[in-house]
Amino acid sequence: MSRRVMILLLILAAAAAGVVVPVFHEPSAFAQAPPSKAKKRAPAPPIAPPSLPPETVEADVSTRTIAVTSGYSGAEILVFGTIENSRQPSAESGFYDVVVVVEGAPEALMVRKKGRVAGLWVNTSTFNFNAVPSYYAVASTRPLEEFADATILDENGIGLDAVRMAAAADSAIRVSSEDLIAYKSAVTRLKQSASLFKRDDYGVVFTGRSLFRATIGLPATVPVGPLTARVFLFHEGKLLSRYQSRVVLEREGIERWLYAFAFERPFLNGMVAVLLALATGLLASAVFRRRIA
Amino acid sequence: MSALHLMNIYLPIAEMSESVFVLLGMGAAVGFISGLFGVGGGFLITPLLIFTGVPAPVAVGTSTAQLVASSVSGAVAQYNRNNVDIKLGVVLLGGGFLGTVIGVGVVQILRQAGQFDLFIALCYVLFLGVIGTLMMIESLQTVWKARGGVTPSMRRPGEHSWVHGLPMKMRFQRSKLYISAIPPFLIGAFVGFLAAIMGVGGGFVMVPALIYLLRVPTNVVVGTSLFQTVFVAAAATILHAGTLISVDLVLATILMIGGVIGAQFGASAGSQLKGEQLRLLLAGIVLLVCLRLGWDLVITPSEIYSLASPAGGS
Repeated sequence: MSRRVMILLLILAAAAAGVVVPVFHEPSAFAQAPPSKAKKRAPAPPIAPPSLPPETVEADVSTRTIAVTSGYSGAEILVFGTIENSRQPSAESGFYDVVVVVEGAPEALMVRKKGRVAGLWVNTSTFNFNAVPSYYAVASTRPLEEFADATILDENGIGLDAVRMAAAADSAIRVSSEDLIAYKSAVTRLKQSASLFKRDDYGVVFTGRSLFRATIGLPATVPVGPLTARVFLFHEGKLLSRYQSRVVLEREGIERWLYAFAFERPFLNGMVAVLLALATGLLASAVFRRRIA
Repeated sequence: MSALHLMNIYLPIAEMSESVFVLLGMGAAVGFISGLFGVGGGFLITPLLIFTGVPAPVAVGTSTAQLVASSVSGAVAQYNRNNVDIKLGVVLLGGGFLGTVIGVGVVQILRQAGQFDLFIALCYVLFLGVIGTLMMIESLQTVWKARGGVTPSMRRPGEHSWVHGLPMKMRFQRSKLYISAIPPFLIGAFVGFLAAIMGVGGGFVMVPALIYLLRVPTNVVVGTSLFQTVFVAAAATILHAGTLISVDLVLATILMIGGVIGAQFGASAGSQLKGEQLRLLLAGIVLLVCLRLGWDLVITPSEIYSLASPAGGS
């Protein structure tokens, strides 16, 4: 008996020390979003009149409200739209370029940088951002650099290099411009590895002369709150039209209640946790006393 | 997707989704160790939760709630074997509450200074390293002597240290001790302080301190330590939830269910092992966690930047 217990403990110890831990962390499965019912057919385009009416883009999202319930493990939203007065001959012609940007609410963020102090890697400096989008996904018909120049992308906040990051004034005056760039690219890199920032170069697909669609995956770690979906229409590097829509991530059911409880009655929440713990522990020992020992 | 992810559950305060089975398994594994050694297990569950992606403050806050559940079932199991010195436990607890309140104040100061996570890592490495090494040496010597046929004795009645010269002497019948109340009060305060700053029950300090400083018999140490942990962890849970909103009830409930089941098996397994074997095993686990945490401080990290929310800090 004692030897079996020892072996079991060694395995547990190895797991505690992180040897077997990576098994725990895998990307979550995304629920497939239901197909959209609301696709609108574009009106038949006029056959090349002498003065062409300007193209405009209209779009919508498959789900306005995503319910974050106890079974929530991320979601997929479908952004779809149409080009009014489309002049492209077919879905495959590549006449237009469409970009879809889905962005979460801006939030304050602190970046820490490690340095070596007496042989140990410790946080030696911090940098504060007042506003960085909690989530940023960009999808396009082809790589952004192929059809638009950096200025126009930057002006419109399109692409991972153009994500709006507002540095806090007290942090910004302390560092050089190279360091500021390093901090910003660190945010992009870390958010990308957490799937909170992403780009999909061929994520927007034309399904007709004027209809297009893009699916955007939201990991479960996206903070609950409003999301903005922006759609841009390009032709030969020129921004022709844009459209904006909103999605809201909302806690529902027991999740909503528990969240509100924790924030509105924090001490009571702690007491409930303690009572729950005492009840669980005492119940278990009452049940197990008869079976073991 | 792996089978582990078939039963995912969303954790409202941690704001993430994780498999119920992974969380139950972690709770059970830590609960088993908790029941076996009489330690709260916080020094294992906090790093495990952080490894699975739970934000550090939520990992600390929620593991204190889990500690209440795993230690209360362990404490009841020990109480039923008459292994709890209630009087000694109450003295420890008085110090424990004081230490918890002081510890919360220190946490707030460190968070403002932005060095809380370094402090936590160094605390873990220092305490786990020193205690693990001491226990390893002591238990190896005891095992060695037992092999040689000499009966080891933890109690050396003729030996008097500075501990025995202090005033306010009290009689602790269950522990067969007549000592000053000041050392246990201070030990309790120190452990309460650790509970608040590290999110641990402090059994890894309490158990050796009771054995080596106060010479409390080994069989009473585990039960008395668990008794004190229940109340200190309860105080820490309420403070963490109240000041940091870092207790996730869904996560806590799942960990508790796994934990209390593991603790029951651990307690009965512990009664079949000798004291020095228990201490040797615990020393090994403590040293492994210490090495793992120390390694992260020394090796060149692949990413020198990290993100944190300015409010949370940890």
